[in-house]
Amino acid sequence: MNSGNKPIGVVPLGEVCELTVKSIAAHILGYFQLDALVLPPMEHPMYAYNERRHQYDAGAIITAMESLSFPQCDKIIGVMDLDLYIPIFVHVLGEARQGGGAALVSIYRLKPSSSPSQEGLNLQMERAAKVALHELGHLYDLHHCMDSLCLMHFSGGLEDLDQTPLYLCRYCSLYLRDALAIKKRRREGEE
Amino acid sequence: MEDKMNIMVVDDERIVRESFAQWFRKSGHRAEAAASGSEAIEQLAKTPFDLLFVDIKMPGMNGIELLGKVKQEYPDTMVVIITAYGSIETAVQAMKAGAVDYLLKPFKPDQLSLVLEKVTQQKKLASEIQYVKGRLDQMTRFDNIIGQSKPMQDVFDLIPEVAQSDSTVLIQGETGTGKELVAKAIHAKSRRARLPFIAINCGAIPDTLLESELFGYQKGAFTGAERPRKGFFEVVSGGSLFLDEVGEISQKMQVDLLRVLEEKKITKIGDRFPIDVDFRLISATRRDLAQEVSEGTFREDLFYRLNVITITIPPLRKRREDIPLLVRHFLEKYSHQTTKRVDHLSKDAIQLLQNYDWPGNVRELENAVERGVVLSKTRTLSSGDFSFLRAAPAQVLRPRSLREVERDYVQGVLEESEWNVTRAAKILEINRVTLHKMIKRHQLTRP
Repeated sequence: MNSGNKPIGVVPLGEVCELTVKSIAAHILGYFQLDALVLPPMEHPMYAYNERRHQYDAGAIITAMESLSFPQCDKIIGVMDLDLYIPIFVHVLGEARQGGGAALVSIYRLKPSSSPSQEGLNLQMERAAKVALHELGHLYDLHHCMDSLCLMHFSGGLEDLDQTPLYLCRYCSLYLRDALAIKKRRREGEE
Repeated sequence: MEDKMNIMVVDDERIVRESFAQWFRKSGHRAEAAASGSEAIEQLAKTPFDLLFVDIKMPGMNGIELLGKVKQEYPDTMVVIITAYGSIETAVQAMKAGAVDYLLKPFKPDQLSLVLEKVTQQKKLASEIQYVKGRLDQMTRFDNIIGQSKPMQDVFDLIPEVAQSDSTVLIQGETGTGKELVAKAIHAKSRRARLPFIAINCGAIPDTLLESELFGYQKGAFTGAERPRKGFFEVVSGGSLFLDEVGEISQKMQVDLLRVLEEKKITKIGDRFPIDVDFRLISATRRDLAQEVSEGTFREDLFYRLNVITITIPPLRKRREDIPLLVRHFLEKYSHQTTKRVDHLSKDAIQLLQNYDWPGNVRELENAVERGVVLSKTRTLSSGDFSFLRAAPAQVLRPRSLREVERDYVQGVLEESEWNVTRAAKILEINRVTLHKMIKRHQLTRP
């Protein structure tokens, strides 16, 4: 681990493709140079189901995840195969609170429309990794970026998401590096 | 995100407010929330917001009502209407009332992103327009004389008429009333507009220097005259020369100026040959030149030369109805210059400014507003921001009744004579009985 920070926990919520979860962890290490641990799966978040919308409330799941203790991890990313929403949007692909402790990625809407194939699975995993890294960026207080060639550029839908790269622009990279360095210094100070 | 905005979400549902606010914060914007229209109005009075997301259905003041109020009080603030129960009628109603967009809850993430992009573009355009407008205002400052009062309207009517002729103009008015602005306006509307306008404050330049400045000199005319220099009479060549505080010039300069006006020729200092000059003279004074003529301190013949047309600018205290208009103008000017959004004035502040006597006239008012804008921590200036005016001596000079003056004077004399009525009556040159009657009438009591 390069940053000297605790690893990022990647936790499946309910039934999720194991390969996608592992791929997310690998992308965190590869693109953010942060260690990532795949944690044991958590139960299906039935408590967040909205009967009227037939969707799961992302805010409620994040609140529940943040209330749990993951002492070995710096941040937690929940991965699920359920349709997510926040009150103002019809759906979301992922969700995180700015500077928060936990984020969510849903692969429900990331699947290609074509019939299942290796290519389709690869695309789904790449999309899931982009959403996970983008939300992790928010957990480290990175904002949406104006640069369309930056991972932190806002993607409104799959078309946008496929155009978005997996890497951060120069400014966002610097910002992330600073955020991690500050965090490390604070922790060392506490110790 | 490049264009950070101050956004307020107004919705009675807490979960919706939070959801919006979190999303805006993720995009780097500053987001606040209000649970009702009245709460939103309260926040707007304290902090400027670029954009409001307003729910239509709220208890108390509904979204459309709030939109109307915002557009009336804070026209620069953009409003997006949001609703869960959309209809074409409400959308049309919202857009007609000045909403920048209309969103139906819940919406796709890219819809919100598009709305923000649209608002950002509009904001950018608005600030560009404001910048250009500011530049234009600066360039056309000569026309920037403000007032809707009758005396100012009379001045405005006179300017274009005067500008058409080539006669000398004397502008009379107290200090700070805008005499130079009127002179510039006359020049700008005259046939000499494309030629120079040169302003000289005669009161600020010593007499000998004024002579060399106006007439110019030849090389060696005096110690230090190492090269020839053209004077303003020559430099202005065809334009307008504005002599401010013309009442301050010496007797000698009065003679010289009279000769130039009569002959339209000047002779440079140290030169023997006169040269032709062509200019229009506009002069200004805060003194009563007619009075000075009768006292023999100002030449009568020069007075009549200068005074072919007279424009008298009223002092600000005689056109108090113009004060709110001027204040608005200066607020806009200094908010623009300082990039601080101070664009409102409380009722008590307007009252204070309208009651104050403004001995320094418009210039003093402008300085007061500038000071207020620079030091203000909120967007609304209140009477407290002008507390320095209360201590000003002008407050004492407000118009007072004869009764008030008499009471204060008699009280002063009594105090000076330690309430010795005989002594006080002697100072006042009245008899003791009259003084006793005055004490009774004014209910004066010994401290």
